[in-house]
Amino acid sequence: MIHLNNIDKYYDSKFQRTFVLKAVNLEIKDGEFVSIMGPSGSGKSTLLNIIGLLDTPSAGEYSLYDKSVLDLKEKAKVDYHRNFMGFIFQAYHLIEEMTVYENIETPLIYKGVKSKDRQAMVADLLDRFNMVAKKDLFPQQLSGGQQQLVGIARAIIGKPKLLLADEPTGNLQSVQGEMIMETLKALNDEGMTIIQVTHNEKFAGYGKRIIRLEDGIVRKDVKNV
Amino acid sequence: MQNIFKSTYRNFIRKPATNLINLGGLAVSLALVIILSVYSYSELTTDNFHKNGDRVYIYSDLHNEFKRLNIPAVLKDQIDLNIPEVESAVRVAGTWEEPVYQVDDHDPITSDIITADPEFFRLFTYEAAEGNLEMALNDPMTIVLAEPLAKKLFGNEQALGKTLKLNNKHTLTVSAVVKMPEANSSLSFSSIASNATRKIIFANGGEFTEWGYWNFNLFVLLKEGANSNETATKMAALYPKDMLENQRVKDYKLNHFQDLYFSNFTVSRGDYLHGGDKRKVMILLMVAALVLIIALVNFINISSSQWLEKIKQTGVLKVVGADKTSILKSVLSEAFILFLMSLFLAILLVQLSFPFVSSYTGIHFNPFLLFTPSFLIVSIAGIFLLSLMFSIIPAMRISSSKAVDNLKKTIHSGSSNSVSRGILVTAQFAIAIVLIAFTVLVQKQVDFGSNNFRFDKENIVAIKLTPQLTERQQVLKKIIQDHPNAGKISFTQFFPGKLNEHWTSNQKINGENIQLDFDTFNGDASLCSMLGLQLVQGRLFSEDLVTDSHKMIVNETFVRAHKMENPIGAKFVMGFGENVPLSEIIGVVKDFHYKPVTAPIGSLIIQNGPQTSYCLVSINTSDFKSLDHFIREIKTETNKLSPSFPVEISFLDQAVENLYQSEIQFRRTFSLFAGCAIVICCLGILAMSLFACQRRIKEIGIRKVNGARTSEVITMLNRDFVRWVAIAFVIATPVAWYIMSKWLESYAYKTNLSWWIFALAGLLALGIALLTVSWQSWKAATRNPVEALRNE
Repeated sequence: MIHLNNIDKYYDSKFQRTFVLKAVNLEIKDGEFVSIMGPSGSGKSTLLNIIGLLDTPSAGEYSLYDKSVLDLKEKAKVDYHRNFMGFIFQAYHLIEEMTVYENIETPLIYKGVKSKDRQAMVADLLDRFNMVAKKDLFPQQLSGGQQQLVGIARAIIGKPKLLLADEPTGNLQSVQGEMIMETLKALNDEGMTIIQVTHNEKFAGYGKRIIRLEDGIVRKDVKNV
Repeated sequence: MQNIFKSTYRNFIRKPATNLINLGGLAVSLALVIILSVYSYSELTTDNFHKNGDRVYIYSDLHNEFKRLNIPAVLKDQIDLNIPEVESAVRVAGTWEEPVYQVDDHDPITSDIITADPEFFRLFTYEAAEGNLEMALNDPMTIVLAEPLAKKLFGNEQALGKTLKLNNKHTLTVSAVVKMPEANSSLSFSSIASNATRKIIFANGGEFTEWGYWNFNLFVLLKEGANSNETATKMAALYPKDMLENQRVKDYKLNHFQDLYFSNFTVSRGDYLHGGDKRKVMILLMVAALVLIIALVNFINISSSQWLEKIKQTGVLKVVGADKTSILKSVLSEAFILFLMSLFLAILLVQLSFPFVSSYTGIHFNPFLLFTPSFLIVSIAGIFLLSLMFSIIPAMRISSSKAVDNLKKTIHSGSSNSVSRGILVTAQFAIAIVLIAFTVLVQKQVDFGSNNFRFDKENIVAIKLTPQLTERQQVLKKIIQDHPNAGKISFTQFFPGKLNEHWTSNQKINGENIQLDFDTFNGDASLCSMLGLQLVQGRLFSEDLVTDSHKMIVNETFVRAHKMENPIGAKFVMGFGENVPLSEIIGVVKDFHYKPVTAPIGSLIIQNGPQTSYCLVSINTSDFKSLDHFIREIKTETNKLSPSFPVEISFLDQAVENLYQSEIQFRRTFSLFAGCAIVICCLGILAMSLFACQRRIKEIGIRKVNGARTSEVITMLNRDFVRWVAIAFVIATPVAWYIMSKWLESYAYKTNLSWWIFALAGLLALGIALLTVSWQSWKAATRNPVEALRNE
């Protein structure tokens, strides 16, 4: 599915070049659950952003299903965001002026799904996450774990193949964190490819494969059984 | 204190864009307010500088619709003899034609003159530059020069006691030079001669001895305590018995001289009297107020967006130990400094732009007024009040907020805040739409007027006849005829904007007594065909018939106003005295605008008389080069024929346009200021969109990650503004419609209020708003969402 070949990401300042990522090679197959670990500033988030087409590498090749996605036009990128991948953030990044229901619905509106179908799809997800009663609340009225559940719901409502999670449990207490990880695991079991960035050893363990980054270089890439 | 300046400066530097918008908007609007209020002040205080002003009256019927000002000269003699309450009565009149002044062998100068009775300077307060004004008009053959004309004639030398030649004939001695007042005045003149002098040099029939000549204006200085109404009744009784029933005699009253300027009076005979238009002054004052409101709305919007940050900052200050009043003071003084800076910028702007503004819009006032202490005190006090009014509420809120809350950053820009901002921006747009619509309408009215004169005015040249040209009329005609480019030639008194004689007389026509009331000028056979006047009944003058000399052509209004069923062939006496033959109406022509278009078309008689003042020539080429050539040749020829009188040559269509000078200037003034208002409006929404984008940066990022396209984000950001414009349009349209129809009411002939004016105004406002906002939206929408979503 994902093929990264010799990816560099660097910033040039006056006299020197600072590498964020250096010669990263990565192959991720359909249905994998990958945890990316590493200390702060090791380039985890940058790597995730590059995979999510939110950032571009300075050098190297990146292809999805053998199709290069490096020089995509804005329109094509937006199509990937609409149909292929979903995002979860540490700070949830819900739209504060919108209710739970509206937040989840947003990607469907951009996808052009009809109103009736949208209702059905959002209702299904709310049901699945046990949040039907909370659908008219605003994000501030929910606990962190619930907010992140809404974030996940929003990320997967478009039925993406790939779910990218940037420290999804970073702001959560451990009980709630576990609940989120269980949810992700269940999604993975259903066949969704997930890549998560995390600091937490325990939560990294939910992944089937763990990649350790240090100073932008892949130090370790192990199967986790 | 130093601290306040430092923090103001730093706050300014930190957000240069929004602060510049704030400062610039305020400065531009204050500059407009300064210009318009000083102008309005000088208009509204017109004629207030005369010391005895409250006792000076003009004998007229300003109080009813005709607003006539003329009286027969003999009346004054009777007043002097019979009415003791009158301290002095002064007759003033202009002359038909501007005379030509000449000193020694210098170039002759054409300029206006008025004649008055010697007590003129007792009624009207003027300062003498040379000589003694009280005595200046006592002797015949003397003249009082206004300073500008004295400078032109004598340079910097003393003029007092020197002589000059008037119309190449009469030698006059300069008895005084008078300074022109800096304040606005309804009287304007380049020189004054006494009425005794008038008798000698402008001898005009029996104007000083007969009751039939209504050539003068009468200004009356009443004794203190005298009742003006009683005096006026006494004055009316002084007319001879057969005139007592004359409507005009019965209508006249003593009207306050200071009410003259804004009374919309009918000017006649020499235009030394100037009127103003109070409505225009009021409209411009309103525009100034609106512009100020728009700028203040910007100020509120911009500063309220900055409160949030200030609240955080004060949290820190409070923890360190600041108390409520010191924070209040610092917020208030920061606002005051901003207002003060914009005031100084505004004064600078007025200074820099005034020459342009004044030549473009015709607004005049003395720019030194800006540096008088009273102006500075008033404006600084005004600025202080404004800044206090518009920053006291946020200042209170900021200073009384709790330190802990501030530090916790729990304060969110609530939705109520954005609603109130929406209302303010909607108000701004409503104002902008009204202003745009009004500008379009004024332009439409000017176009309508200058295209609907109902006579041909293109390619006609008017040569003003000097005394020497009049004498050699036939030679002039021959010379022009021989020119290949010359078409028809007409000698006439007609010229657009020149006022015509107005006569009233009682006549017996076909056995019926009719009171005739009409304007009249002389024209010849070719005039009607040159102007393309359309014949309704009868015939036009004929060149071949010598017998046409006492024939007349009237317009439709004349026939209608005097209810004549058979106008053709009606005969009556034109003129005064004995042995005047009867004149006969031979034709009726369609109405055309021979007067300024603000006035309705009057009853008109075109006589086939010998006195003429213009030679009109139609030209059979519109090629610019041959036109220029033609004018130049005619000029050389006429200068040869009229060596001591400069000859003026003008185009008829230009003269028509000049009639619209005040409308055109009003349009320019209005559009200039409306334009500024719109620019300030744009600055405001620019700032608003800046804030909106900043506030929604995170949301934009989330939406983009969730699959929103740039175009969709821009649409989302612009939607609010479009909605505001739409609401503003709904509010503004009826308001604009009402104001515009009120304004049109004063025109006798007016354009209609088309729907497209409003549509155009709305679309323009929408277009401007979208352009301004999209600039920011585009920047926000194309930004990389990663920056916005980076974990804090």
